Amino acid sequence: MERTPIVELRHISKYFAKVVANKDVSLKVFPGEVLALLGENGAGKSTIMKILYGLYKHDDGEILIHSKKADIRSPMDAKKSGIAMVQQHFSLVSTHTGTENIILGNTKGYIPISAYNSKIQKLANEYGFDVPVDVKIEKLAVGQQQKIEILKALYLNVNILILDEPTAVLTPQESETLMAFIKSYVKKGNSVIFITHKLKEVMEVASRVVVMRNGIVVGERQREELEEHDLAKLMIGEEIVAPVRDSSNRWEKLPTILEVDNISLHDSKNTPILTDISFNIHASEIYGIAGVSGNGQDELCDVLCGLKKPDRGKIYFKDKDITDSSILEHNLSGLGYVPLDRLRDAIIPGMTLSENMLLKNSFSGKWSNKGFIKKIELNNYTSDMIEKHRIKATGPADLSGGLSGGNQQKLVLGREVDIGTSLLIFNQPTRGLDMGAVDRIHHVMMEEKERGKAILLISTEITELFEMCDVISVMYRGKILGEYRNGELNTDNLGLLMAGIRPEGL
Amino acid sequence: MAERNTSFNIILYNSVAVIIGLLISTGLLAFMKINPFDIVARTLSKIFADKYNIGEIFVKATPLIFTSLAFAFTYKANLFNIGAQGQFYAGSIAAVSLSLLLGGRVPRVLLILIVFITSALAGALVGGCIGIAKAKRNANEFLVSMMSTYIVNAVMDYLLRTALQETKAEYMQTDAIVPQSYLSIIIPGTRVHSGFIIAVLAAIAVWIILDKTILGFRIRAVGMNKHAAELGGINTKLIFVISFLIAGGLAGMAGVTEINGVQHMLLRNFNSSIGSFGIGIAILANANPIGCIFASILFGFLNVIGTTMGRLPGTAIPASLVELIEGIVMTCVIIATALRVYMGGKAEKQRMKEGGEA
Repeated sequence: MERTPIVELRHISKYFAKVVANKDVSLKVFPGEVLALLGENGAGKSTIMKILYGLYKHDDGEILIHSKKADIRSPMDAKKSGIAMVQQHFSLVSTHTGTENIILGNTKGYIPISAYNSKIQKLANEYGFDVPVDVKIEKLAVGQQQKIEILKALYLNVNILILDEPTAVLTPQESETLMAFIKSYVKKGNSVIFITHKLKEVMEVASRVVVMRNGIVVGERQREELEEHDLAKLMIGEEIVAPVRDSSNRWEKLPTILEVDNISLHDSKNTPILTDISFNIHASEIYGIAGVSGNGQDELCDVLCGLKKPDRGKIYFKDKDITDSSILEHNLSGLGYVPLDRLRDAIIPGMTLSENMLLKNSFSGKWSNKGFIKKIELNNYTSDMIEKHRIKATGPADLSGGLSGGNQQKLVLGREVDIGTSLLIFNQPTRGLDMGAVDRIHHVMMEEKERGKAILLISTEITELFEMCDVISVMYRGKILGEYRNGELNTDNLGLLMAGIRPEGL
Repeated sequence: MAERNTSFNIILYNSVAVIIGLLISTGLLAFMKINPFDIVARTLSKIFADKYNIGEIFVKATPLIFTSLAFAFTYKANLFNIGAQGQFYAGSIAAVSLSLLLGGRVPRVLLILIVFITSALAGALVGGCIGIAKAKRNANEFLVSMMSTYIVNAVMDYLLRTALQETKAEYMQTDAIVPQSYLSIIIPGTRVHSGFIIAVLAAIAVWIILDKTILGFRIRAVGMNKHAAELGGINTKLIFVISFLIAGGLAGMAGVTEINGVQHMLLRNFNSSIGSFGIGIAILANANPIGCIFASILFGFLNVIGTTMGRLPGTAIPASLVELIEGIVMTCVIIATALRVYMGGKAEKQRMKEGGEA
């Protein structure tokens, strides 16, 4: 079937200072289809779309729109050509209302705001978007903000919508609404380019899939030939075997390692961040905390690692009260912590790999002698670490900032596993990582569990929680909504709990 | 490999920048209807004809090594110590007081040792206060250190008018210290004194502390990523204080080299720009302690060029030319730094375009 593509990218290449982001990428978009752009993080999916949207300038190649050569220099040009993009990080002014954000840049002089409000509300209803357009963005939930972001594109009457990892911030229910919208939108003859690294979404919504790896297109599949296993292999370049969870519940008979007893925390404005949080983790237990980002998980980590002190409540680690201990005391007592934002909290990008290994050990005396660094021993240790966790680096003297996100995370993982002799705390350890790194992290967690360590896994990924955890609890607005054995919950129930709704019968 | 390439590039770009800066600044002489080539040739031949003039380069460089180290050290902890001038004055006050008090009464070596230690402590005291203000109250160390210079300056003026004033009570200056408290001259026929060697040793010591010790590692860690350092158990506030203590101590030692090595007395507002030049030199050296030595010598050289030009017989070159040269050279170096980073990125891109592999 010969159709004319509305957009065609021909042999596009893009080079950044340190990496080749895209090399000779060619792809076509046809009217009325959902093109899924599948690939790991750093595969170049976002970059190629940012080129199409005019945010980046390509170094080689050409863009054709309606078979005519187009020169897209800015998002403004892109929009004129009927292309809009919803970025992973929204570009909304949080102190303005939805309507104000939507008309921003498309209006001048006197603004008849109520007329705009009703016009845009109508547009929202047309697509079944349940979102008030006259409310300030900061008052809206993330899923609603995304709808405003999409409305911004729809308002401009574009016919190609690029969505960059749109489900990353959504609850399962919100994702479903989004998928329904995509299906109805393309029925009208529009096209959607859907950037993702999640196979399930591709299977659900894509009419065609282009798989990218390391900046190049490695394969293309039509709807009818989609097969999950085949796509995963294309995307990663190798087979992945998920770790097997030991479901014998051996941990129940083992001693409690961490006991969190009724802790509460307020912020400086006296708004409660954490309210009466209690849970226990035994040796050899993986305890999962599910929840949408921003429900107090990060603050809970801050309290557990000693960065913040709770207003009320106690924390016992190996039967010792550590509520008021310093961060250093936490580190020295055998608590390892893999924070959410590794570039901010876990590594120093401007330092070498060995210096990063030293970062949490500068007080333990492990690699120091009379105040001097034992460089040879430290380098040997780091080399072992590079080999053990298959970190892609040339040696211990590489700068950690030059590594990919997955390799940085493996570096942090290696260090923390050695420090955390009794307890490991993971805050969304696999967020934004490629499947190879995710797999490595999951295997290491299972190994450490077998060794008798207690593990706390905070995650937003339902599949990860079901795959790894012995016990799962849900955090919503700073409270624990309930604690369940793995197996007591299904995806739907967990999704509802994450949205703050307690399903019937639980 | 890549790292060696970078340091080679830094030296290359900075050298070219310095030469261009010199060409521009001396070229300005043409506006005064003076032939720049002639003047530069005469100046250089005059400097290199005389051992004394060559020696002056190192005399001028000595305090600059200390003040540039004082900036570079805190810079590694991502702190800005703009107050080296005040710390230097504090050291000078200590040096002159002790030399007046003990000069001739204790052996020279012992005296110099005592003077070095107390001057470093005096500088560290001023620096430490800045560090404490930063750690305890999260005060902006940039402003606090800058203002601290004025305070020390006022204290110095007060002392020069009262306790330390010369016996004649005429000018705002102290009595001259006795020759037994001078730093010894290491090259006869010049003013080069042992302070230069101590400055070089100080730079090497700073390099060892920053690069080889756990303390230096912690300082750099705090400087590059405060959050990660804190989660690593490092007490960032303590690091602030320690960095400022050491930086203040370094600047304070410049007081000894100037009082006991060159001036032999304390004068009002003396060497009033070595603090600010220290900042420029540290930036020129990319905050590398060893680089600070060479950059300071370069600035010592520029200074000597300027003064020699101003003194050439038969020309009316203003003495302020020194500052003009130094300013223009500095500007060129900063432009070169920006250019080097830009070109580095571009070369990398080109290399990948040709290399092809992702």
